[in-house]
Amino acid sequence: MHTELQNLLYAADDHYLSDADLDQFQKTAHSLAERIETYEYIRDRELSILQPAADYLSEEFPNTDSKILERAVVHWLSILRYGSMAMLCDNVEFLNQRILEWMPDLLEVYQLRDIEIAFYRLLQVQIKSTLSPTQIDLIKPYLEEAYGVLLRSKSTLQLSA
Amino acid sequence: MISVKELVKESRLTGNYFAPDAYLQGDLESGLIENRGGGRLLALPESFLRAIYEGLQEEVGAASEPVLYKCGAWWGKTFYRRFAEEVSKSLGRPMADIDMIEFLQCFKQCWKTHGWGSIELDFDFYQHGFIVAQIKNSAFANSSPTLDKPKCFVEAGLLSSFFTGLTGQKLHCIQTTCESMGADCNYFVLGLPERVKRAEAWLQEKHDHATIMERLCQSQMDRYLNLE
Repeated sequence: MHTELQNLLYAADDHYLSDADLDQFQKTAHSLAERIETYEYIRDRELSILQPAADYLSEEFPNTDSKILERAVVHWLSILRYGSMAMLCDNVEFLNQRILEWMPDLLEVYQLRDIEIAFYRLLQVQIKSTLSPTQIDLIKPYLEEAYGVLLRSKSTLQLSA
Repeated sequence: MISVKELVKESRLTGNYFAPDAYLQGDLESGLIENRGGGRLLALPESFLRAIYEGLQEEVGAASEPVLYKCGAWWGKTFYRRFAEEVSKSLGRPMADIDMIEFLQCFKQCWKTHGWGSIELDFDFYQHGFIVAQIKNSAFANSSPTLDKPKCFVEAGLLSSFFTGLTGQKLHCIQTTCESMGADCNYFVLGLPERVKRAEAWLQEKHDHATIMERLCQSQMDRYLNLE
């Protein structure tokens, strides 16, 4: 459930919501409409957002096995999908629990960190050219959350050194 | 050339199947807690676990330890079968096609979601024939009576039969440290029975985990070099 709506639901456990709570409810409902619109927009343009980024990734890593690059792209397909759902529910924990907690081990074992950092940057360019500023503001925190996990993971360069 | 369209078609874009909010489900009407596959789950109160330890100790004395180990082994055998089925179903691939890292991530998350604590597996001693499991916040250690030796026999039995199922080789498990004795985590060593059982004597002599691992590895080296 949407985190803010859930909090208001719990707050109204034994009393009516106050005017301030209702005001918050209204803002959340308004924001929900924007979130649904953004979610639909990303869902319907998933391929056109990710394909150019995938093409640039192949150019940036010409000597890397395509299976490894595909693994990184599949990973980001999931991050974008789960990130969009987390954005819809305004719930970053959803993204963390469903995918980000799994990332560090996978990045290390498959040595994907640097490839995925590059893909994140390429994806950002696509997001900026495809989504409106309002839509970018809504999805950005979730993609940044994933990027933060990438940055905190062990560098594959250090591993192979 | 990467085709995202093909990747979407071919890949199963599943996230963490064992995430607590998705895995644990309840049917309040019928008073059931279930997992995603419809298997019934049961929440055990700590006092009940404590009662099992104390009741067994009172009734069968020292035999309670192998009894608990056997209970864990029985549990682990069925747990491995159910777990493997669930992982295979959730990833949409037969077990043979699942990478070890994916399997282990599912195992760690599954362990955590069931409230058994957090588990990490260390394969650094694999070449010597041992796997080390580290468990923190163990429900079984917290409920056990404080004694002078590790008491998580249920987990040791569970791990032995789980990894027996996974590796296809009969494995034994020995616990070397215990939270009930003030350690910051519980260490378990898995290996072939004749190899890992050597640790029992060193455990009785109160050696720490690092020393026991060092001796186990050394004894393996000695065997390879025919020094024994």
